[in-house]
Amino acid sequence: MLSIILLSIFGIVVLFLGFQKSKNILLPATLLCIAIAFAANFVHWNDAPGLYFKEMLFENRLTMSFSAIVLLSAFLVVALTRGFADDEAAQPAEYYAIILFSLVGAIMMIGFDNLIMLFLGVEILSVSMYVLTGSDKRNLRSNEAALKYFLMGAFATGIMLFGIALLYGATGSFNLTDIRGYVGTNSFSISTLLYVGLLLVLIGMLFKVSAAPFHFWTPDVYDGAPTVFTAFMSTIVKTAGFAAIYRLLSGSFEGIYNFWWFTLAAITILTLVVGNITAVYQQSFKRMMAYSSISHAGYLLLSLTAMTAQTPDAIVFYSLAYSLATVSAFGVLMAVAREKSVQSHENAEDFEAFNGLGKRNPLLAFVLTVSMLSLAGIPLTAGFWGKFFIFGTIVERGNLIWMLIVAILMSAVGIYYYFKVIIATYMKDGETGALRVPPFYRIVLIVSTTLTLLFGLIPKLLS
Amino acid sequence: MNLLLLIPLLPLVGFLINGIGFKHIPKSLVGVIGSVGPVVAFILSIYAFGAFRAGNNAPVIIQLFDWITVGTLNISFSFQIDQLSLLMLLVVTGVGSLIHIYSIGYMSHDAGFGKFFAFLNLFLFFMLLLVMGSNYVIMFIGWEGVGLCSYLLIGFWNKVTNYNNAARKAFIMNRIGDLGFLLGIFLIIQTFGTVEYLPVFEKAVGMSVGDSAIAAITLLLFVGAMGKSAQIPLYTWLPDAMAGPTPVSALIHAATMVTAGIYMVVRSNVLYALAPDTLEIVAIIGLATALMAASIGLFQNDIKKVLAYSTVSQLGYMFMALGVAAYSSAMFHVITHAFFKALLFLGAGSVIHAMSDEQDIRNMGGLRKKLPITFLTFLIATIAISGIPPFAGFFSKDEILAHVYEHNKLMWALGVLGSIMTSFYMFRLLFLTFFGDFRGTHEQAHHLHESPISMTLPLMVLAVLSVVGGFMNVPHVLGGHSALATFMDPLFANAQRANPALFEHGHLDHSTEYLLMGVSVGAALLAMGAAYVLFISKKNVPAADGQESGLQKVIYNKYYVDEFYEAIFVNPMRKLSDALYSFGEFIVDGLVKGAGGLVKLSSGQLRQLQTGETGFYVFAMVVGITALLLWNFGAIIFK
Amino acid sequence: MLSDFGVIFLFIITAIAFIAVALTIARLVRPHRPNVEKLTTYESGEDPLGNANVQFNGRFYVIALIFVLFEVELVFLFPWATVFGQASLIAQTDGLWGWFALAEMAIFVGILALGLVYAWAKGYLDWVRPQPKLPAVKSSVPADLYGKVNKKYAQKTKSV
Repeated sequence: MLSIILLSIFGIVVLFLGFQKSKNILLPATLLCIAIAFAANFVHWNDAPGLYFKEMLFENRLTMSFSAIVLLSAFLVVALTRGFADDEAAQPAEYYAIILFSLVGAIMMIGFDNLIMLFLGVEILSVSMYVLTGSDKRNLRSNEAALKYFLMGAFATGIMLFGIALLYGATGSFNLTDIRGYVGTNSFSISTLLYVGLLLVLIGMLFKVSAAPFHFWTPDVYDGAPTVFTAFMSTIVKTAGFAAIYRLLSGSFEGIYNFWWFTLAAITILTLVVGNITAVYQQSFKRMMAYSSISHAGYLLLSLTAMTAQTPDAIVFYSLAYSLATVSAFGVLMAVAREKSVQSHENAEDFEAFNGLGKRNPLLAFVLTVSMLSLAGIPLTAGFWGKFFIFGTIVERGNLIWMLIVAILMSAVGIYYYFKVIIATYMKDGETGALRVPPFYRIVLIVSTTLTLLFGLIPKLLS
Repeated sequence: MNLLLLIPLLPLVGFLINGIGFKHIPKSLVGVIGSVGPVVAFILSIYAFGAFRAGNNAPVIIQLFDWITVGTLNISFSFQIDQLSLLMLLVVTGVGSLIHIYSIGYMSHDAGFGKFFAFLNLFLFFMLLLVMGSNYVIMFIGWEGVGLCSYLLIGFWNKVTNYNNAARKAFIMNRIGDLGFLLGIFLIIQTFGTVEYLPVFEKAVGMSVGDSAIAAITLLLFVGAMGKSAQIPLYTWLPDAMAGPTPVSALIHAATMVTAGIYMVVRSNVLYALAPDTLEIVAIIGLATALMAASIGLFQNDIKKVLAYSTVSQLGYMFMALGVAAYSSAMFHVITHAFFKALLFLGAGSVIHAMSDEQDIRNMGGLRKKLPITFLTFLIATIAISGIPPFAGFFSKDEILAHVYEHNKLMWALGVLGSIMTSFYMFRLLFLTFFGDFRGTHEQAHHLHESPISMTLPLMVLAVLSVVGGFMNVPHVLGGHSALATFMDPLFANAQRANPALFEHGHLDHSTEYLLMGVSVGAALLAMGAAYVLFISKKNVPAADGQESGLQKVIYNKYYVDEFYEAIFVNPMRKLSDALYSFGEFIVDGLVKGAGGLVKLSSGQLRQLQTGETGFYVFAMVVGITALLLWNFGAIIFK
Repeated sequence: MLSDFGVIFLFIITAIAFIAVALTIARLVRPHRPNVEKLTTYESGEDPLGNANVQFNGRFYVIALIFVLFEVELVFLFPWATVFGQASLIAQTDGLWGWFALAEMAIFVGILALGLVYAWAKGYLDWVRPQPKLPAVKSSVPADLYGKVNKKYAQKTKSV
């Protein structure tokens, strides 16, 4: 919980650092802040699970792992921003401060023990995201995306809040433990309000992780937002969202599994199908990644639907694998698109941008290939083990094999669009001339790729 | 004991340095970097050997990390150090170091010098993984890894299509074997629930002799060994593999990789002890391979092809030894064979180097004066392989033959026949190459020179080893202590517990043993004499291609096995694939394209939903929420 | 006994009654002299004419946001004050409770104040004054020449 306090203070500090003439200090300062928070996150690693702030927040190894993934992804993404050095209109101090604040929200979502905290966390994270999405003020698409995201987000928040209110009405408490107690003791006379409330809260959360049919905002927002914030959104928000859903369902509602599993299963299947199938048609890499993120939400939901003892480990591993691969993919896109947009004003984020990358910069091509392989779940990458563990939980549950079949079919579809990128990279001819990448950028990409391969070779490393 | 981790790691580091930086590192440094790893690994292996001997001779397991956990199956990444892996370590790193040093001289004119050393180091890494692993999965990783390196190195000069074809052939043949090996591993998991050597063998001891599961496992594993160690019917890749640079032939295709099959059977000795039928098959295939390859070797004219067939034949001997449960004799032959066969290949390399890449012995002759060191070392190796005492080959081959004699007298007789052929073709090679008059072109004669010290030094070291190598296991009958066999004994304790009958046979009395030795030595000498008469006294030179007749022609063309495979497997496969292809045009393609088209079509439809209008999005959400509420609470609402 | 919601209900009634009473008394005592300006709708000084659906100056929102911020702060202060003053807690902790609660609120207000400082320093509180762009004409005739001419002829006309 130390990391929450630290990140709040750091956010204010970074905000005021922005008054300095030189903006160069902001990026290292932010990275340092996140690194310190990362270290602080592990302070209680060896202690027993604990409750903090009057039972508002909960902390155990699982929440610490989720927080670690969030902070690691944030570190990598922030490192990719290059300090917004090439944009005069940017307000780096505010962006970084907002990022730090949003991390506070994410960690609150991961470790909430009280529905109020869940709501606060979701709002802190979401509001930050609305702002960051619209941060490219002169770009109409960015503005449109921000407004869309905000309007729909507000709608979802309202529904979730209504759900929380109903839960309170049914149980008389916001506290997860109390609600669990209510579900446990009144197993035959549970108020209908509780069921409706749970459903509404779930819908609110599913919106945040972009599960179908609440996913419509995702492609437009991912497409419109500046790429670096798209990367941020698709990693941090997703991880935190799934941690929160897991915490909610496992913390309070395991007793009524029979009520919610089918709803979740239906949404899972819909998400998998919509995400994977629509991705096939996309011409823009960013939109493809948006649909890919929807499909990955489907895989994560798969494990939540199974809800076995292995589910938390599977989600942690999958989130990590997915975050690493996504960061690499967007990193390469930024490196390629930046150069392209300088040269011409055509759409720099299409697949064609990668044409001939294998010759222009073998390192970027390799990073992109590993990332795509990991997202597609090909062995020797972390993504393979992620899927493996997720599918393992389904097998463990036993009666959900039909979902597994759909999931495997859909991951076969996934291979099609991920390999489209690899093919563009290596087999299509594009521009010639070496593509230069700053050294710092290169380090970030190498780190994320190395981790992807390392976890792909030795999944046991994370335990 | 953590120093042991460095043994496989050092070559890997060498690979990384040379592999990543081979364009930037100066040539002189590449060789040093490439060789330092193996040499240090060798020193560490000696140290480990000393430490192990000082200890209590119990296997040491070094657990690195848990690797895969699936259900109850736990596969860890760990190493096992015992008598067997130590012996293999010493051979692999020792011979490997010498060959690395040799390569500095041999490959110095090659453009891909750095790449070569990188691959060689990578090979060594995988080979060490193979022999050090403490379970079948690690062994399999090494097994696949050395296969990959072998493929890369056979096709090292990838500008020549034939060489690439040879590499592909080796790869595919090995893959057939690997499939068997992999199935064997799966069956082991199925049967024992683990792949760790020690627990598997511990559990196996309790099973009955002739258990069908064990028989299946051993047979499948043996299929793997057939591929890697070039036994009938999967042997044809090895002669073709001579397309690679000569140090590669020496290291991979003579001394180390091809003995991996032997190592695997010795490692699984408990399982094989429980499957006498498999052992019988192993022995018969070994014998057949030994004879067939030796007979092909009689008429080959390519210096490396002769050695390649000789390797296949010697591997056959080793499998024959395994088949009669003479595990330590097989290992003994692995070691001595590594010495003299590496020496022969390196000597051949030295000859080829001097002859400006000429490999046909019909164009050689009289080289002993120009290449004295090469000649002398080659002579020693020839004597050693022919089984003439007191050189290394005599002891190991004689031990195998003695065990075979106990098992089956007919097999022994055929074995002696093979050894006659061995002696004959080896001396034929020696005489044609180094004696008589020079038959090459004038230009080649002008070029002839002894190789540099970096090449001759390994030759000399290996020559010494070929001379004295046999003394590590002098049998009791000759006043020795069978030191190697005694050292390896603990390895077979479980096998003896599992199937005592297999190891009980009447000990040969001394006079019989003397007789056996006499017969094989006499036969070898006789063959040598015959070769002397034919190729030195009568100065015969093998006929040019296409002029052989009768049986000779059949043998010269390797019994037409390649053509046979071509006709039986490759061509029907091509026809089938053609047929399937045209079939697939209509049906399979239709299905695949149909599925793809369906996906694309539905993708196009789903895409239409993404209108970009917030109003519609919210509407869709509302519809979704309503549907969920109706589904879950419809019953209450419409009651 | 009243329930908690009953208290809230009483508050609502009192609030309505308070406003009604205040407005009624005001009506009774104030002078009544209407004119056009007084009768128009109050809109922060803007002229309430035309379509309501026009673009407002963005500064309104910024100011409103900062205002809402401190509204929330104020709302928080009330429950805090009741807890702050709990005699039993103060007695139990030997007075430490008061300092603790005070420090907490100081941090809270401090952070909000920092936000205000930030907005201030960034200039978000400054109302944008219209900066009319003076037309600049490139001409070889110096600008003050016109002035001189005007002066000259102004004197002439006066004299006539």
